[in-house]
Amino acid sequence: MFLFAVYALATLGVLVGAFVSPGFRAIAYAPLRDLIIPPPKPIVLDVLYSTEKAAWIDEGVRRFLTSGPRVEGRPIDIELSKSGSREMYLAVLDGDVEPDLISPASMLQISLLEDLSAARTDRFGGPVVDRRDTGTCRPVLNTPVVLVAWENRSDVLWGGNPNGQLWLRLHEAVTRETWEVYGHPEWGFIKFGQTNPLKSNSGFQSFLLMTYNYAEKSSGLSNEDILDAGYQAWYREFGRNVTQFGDSTGTFMEEIVAYGPSRYDIVAVYESTAIEHIDNAVARYGSSHGGLQVIYPPVTSLSDHPFCVLDAEWVEPEEAQAAKRFLDFLTDREMQELALHYGFRPVHEGVSLDQPGSPFGRYEGNGVRLNLPDQVEVPAGNVLNTLLEFWARNVQP
Amino acid sequence: MDILKRRETMGRNWSCVGKELGRIGTRHQILRSMKGNGLMRRGLSYLALATMVSVVLLTGCGNLPLPGGKRVTITMIYGSEKEAWLVPLIEVFNSEGHETEAGATIFVEATPMGSIVSGDRIVEGTLKPTVWSPASSAYVPVTNASWLQKHGEDLVVGTPNDLVLSPVVIAMWRPMAEALGWPGESLGWADIAALATSEGGWAGYGYPEWGSFKFGHTHPDFSNSGLISVIAEAYAAADKPRDLTLADLQDPELKAFMADVESSVIHYGESTGFFATRMFERGPSYLSAAVMYENLIAAQEAKRIRGESNQPPVVAIYPEEGTAWSNHPYIILNAPWVSDEQRGAAEIFEAYLLAEPQQRLSVTYGFRPSDPGLPLSTPLDLEHGVDPTEPKTVLEVPSAEVVVGVQELWRSEVKKPVDVVVVMDTSGSMEGKKISSARSSLVDFIDLMDDRDRLQVILFSDEMITLTELSPLAEKRQEVRNRVSGVIEGGDTKLYSAVEFAYRELDAHGDPDHIRVIVVLTDGQDTASPITLPELTARIGAQSESGDATKIFTIAFGRAADREILQQIAEITGGRQYDSDPETIGEIYAEIATFF
Repeated sequence: MFLFAVYALATLGVLVGAFVSPGFRAIAYAPLRDLIIPPPKPIVLDVLYSTEKAAWIDEGVRRFLTSGPRVEGRPIDIELSKSGSREMYLAVLDGDVEPDLISPASMLQISLLEDLSAARTDRFGGPVVDRRDTGTCRPVLNTPVVLVAWENRSDVLWGGNPNGQLWLRLHEAVTRETWEVYGHPEWGFIKFGQTNPLKSNSGFQSFLLMTYNYAEKSSGLSNEDILDAGYQAWYREFGRNVTQFGDSTGTFMEEIVAYGPSRYDIVAVYESTAIEHIDNAVARYGSSHGGLQVIYPPVTSLSDHPFCVLDAEWVEPEEAQAAKRFLDFLTDREMQELALHYGFRPVHEGVSLDQPGSPFGRYEGNGVRLNLPDQVEVPAGNVLNTLLEFWARNVQP
Repeated sequence: MDILKRRETMGRNWSCVGKELGRIGTRHQILRSMKGNGLMRRGLSYLALATMVSVVLLTGCGNLPLPGGKRVTITMIYGSEKEAWLVPLIEVFNSEGHETEAGATIFVEATPMGSIVSGDRIVEGTLKPTVWSPASSAYVPVTNASWLQKHGEDLVVGTPNDLVLSPVVIAMWRPMAEALGWPGESLGWADIAALATSEGGWAGYGYPEWGSFKFGHTHPDFSNSGLISVIAEAYAAADKPRDLTLADLQDPELKAFMADVESSVIHYGESTGFFATRMFERGPSYLSAAVMYENLIAAQEAKRIRGESNQPPVVAIYPEEGTAWSNHPYIILNAPWVSDEQRGAAEIFEAYLLAEPQQRLSVTYGFRPSDPGLPLSTPLDLEHGVDPTEPKTVLEVPSAEVVVGVQELWRSEVKKPVDVVVVMDTSGSMEGKKISSARSSLVDFIDLMDDRDRLQVILFSDEMITLTELSPLAEKRQEVRNRVSGVIEGGDTKLYSAVEFAYRELDAHGDPDHIRVIVVLTDGQDTASPITLPELTARIGAQSESGDATKIFTIAFGRAADREILQQIAEITGGRQYDSDPETIGEIYAEIATFF
């Protein structure tokens, strides 16, 4: 018995020693280690984000956590969850999720969440986000919505110069149905794809841009503009002839490359998605079809990937503080340089698009531009909601 | 949700510690039972125990291998065209012991099947796979719509990923394609229709030595490429690339165009792969052109270039009116028989197939990888008869109701009718279960035929009795069903004479514009014919080089039948020999029916 006691004590000593000594601590069995000497409770940030920036954000979280960030002595941990941009704000409104930080693809969704949450007095004490407070809510990456077309197609439609005619020509082409009208019966019917505005932000943005274009303005879009019968007939006709309203922007880009022009002539996607695949198209088809051409709308709308800390009862003050730390990290030079390599436009003014190795210079021949046209104004949440309602009732396939 | 997940992981770790301690307890008992009570010995045993506890706790038991792992099996039904790529990959995957999140080892079992018939059987509930990967998405909406109607929810949820891609093309021997103006001229369905109705076939194009134009595609009720063929014919006839409607299908001109194309078809069939094999084995005298996938042509050309095929080169014609893609979607079914564990396992297998090495490998089989980051390299080049810059356009996949409408139109009005002579052994050895199943399955076979088809039934034993002469089924269907149901057995087996008689009958009364088929069912060997096998094969093999000659399908019914002789009889005509018994005879008849 005596010997047992001695050995037991010795074992315990070895164990405690092992857990305390840093070399052993790392490989020791975590639950037991933490039971003996509890570490400070981490602050867990629940982050909901839209998928287009997944590669960049995953790397960002890895780098952020490696730097050992702490708030009041407590380490920060991050739980990332992917979500569609619209799904994201609807889930917050319905109380299905309680994230600390959200990052949809664009300010459009923040604008909707701000307005719609203010109206939900049963659930919230006021708007859960404030898009004017740049300390808690600001864009971290920019990428405009663009059209990507096989060059021989875009030459026929726009002759390399879409100017103000981009959306009108697209409408005309899509509703004319076949390329025969343009002297190319061998290309079959005109195949245009964009995402469903109810499911994906890029589709929502191109829909908004077309609507602004019809109303011949770039700011102050109103409910009256959307309820206009001429506009509704015009857009409905377009919607009927769109080849595919898909769920995912990435899938369109992958398919236009994987299937070649037989599947899609033109798709509406993000500039960053297009940049990612320009070389793939060359590897697959060489110079036939002329490669992929990126076409910018005359007035654009940015997918600006805002990160916004929620002003809600479930967000503890330390969590809000940790969220702001993370937001600052993402907008720092290092992460912004990295964004450039993923084909995003950095928001950090010190990071130039025009630098060696930048994809923006490399793909100039494919129409990629350094300077962006002006942006349309982001309409108020209730106007955006009217737009989506119109789509859901009249265009939804 | 994520927080919950983390707690689960923690719980698992703790229970794992419990398990380990339990095992140590067992070891402890073993130690205690060791002989000898000396202080030293006991001390050593405690030391050993203490060391073990330390080791387990220090290293973390999660890393210790736990014996006796669970296994999860996923079943997959797939279009046979990707067999050459898929089957070796499944073997590798199974041997690598991939695991689910919960640690169960994944095992994949895959079966090839026609893409349309598999969808129909899933809806019926007679086929219950975890994963369904037909050759293309074209028929998926039809399958889903039927399922939805029956079960009130979707069978296919979301947009499934494509595994590999290959356009539907018309394979044609290069000299023949060149005679049509290829590669300078764009060719399409209209050219096929013109050839099909050309007086004297190839003679109208200056090549009388090639005989008639012999065309082939699979059966649109069973196989994806067959369905695509008839939809493409309808579009070409309607002269538009999209928005095919039910009203279009009523147009007499459309029907005439489709019937023209179909008139040159030598026979249909269940599997595109089978068609390709037939064409590449038998050469231009058997088939001038057939609808298949680009990958099959690239693979054949690679074989020819390696010196493994003596046929002339073959090229892919991308129909100028447009075509469709075979995209091999990977569909994890939203069906009650698919468990969450299987779903998870199926996702892991999917990720494996979509990973770069497996995608890259698909190119060697002539597929275009679905991964857009991979280039289209050899054999996807002009040297191998294919053009990676084609096709230029696709045809829009019509709505589910229009797809069904095209199938119905094909069946009832435009498909090439068939003249079938069934030769059935009624000798004494057929008694019992054999004769009863042969009777009932023949009735089912008759039900698979259309009213325009013509049928003759010959019974043979010592004598030959013509149960019904060659005439359209429309006027005699019920009567023939009744007569077949009353057939009885008795006597010897005059097999050769019966086959020869059937052949003569079809030669004399068969319509050269119909598909002509003899189906022979026998359970024994020839015991009484006045003619010999060489005499028979000399006679039936005389015209067999031509794809539109009479085909003989032979069924060896039970073990006593002489399979080798039956195979010889079938293959000399371009037909096929089957082994069967009372349990499988229905399936064999159904398979034969896919040829017409």
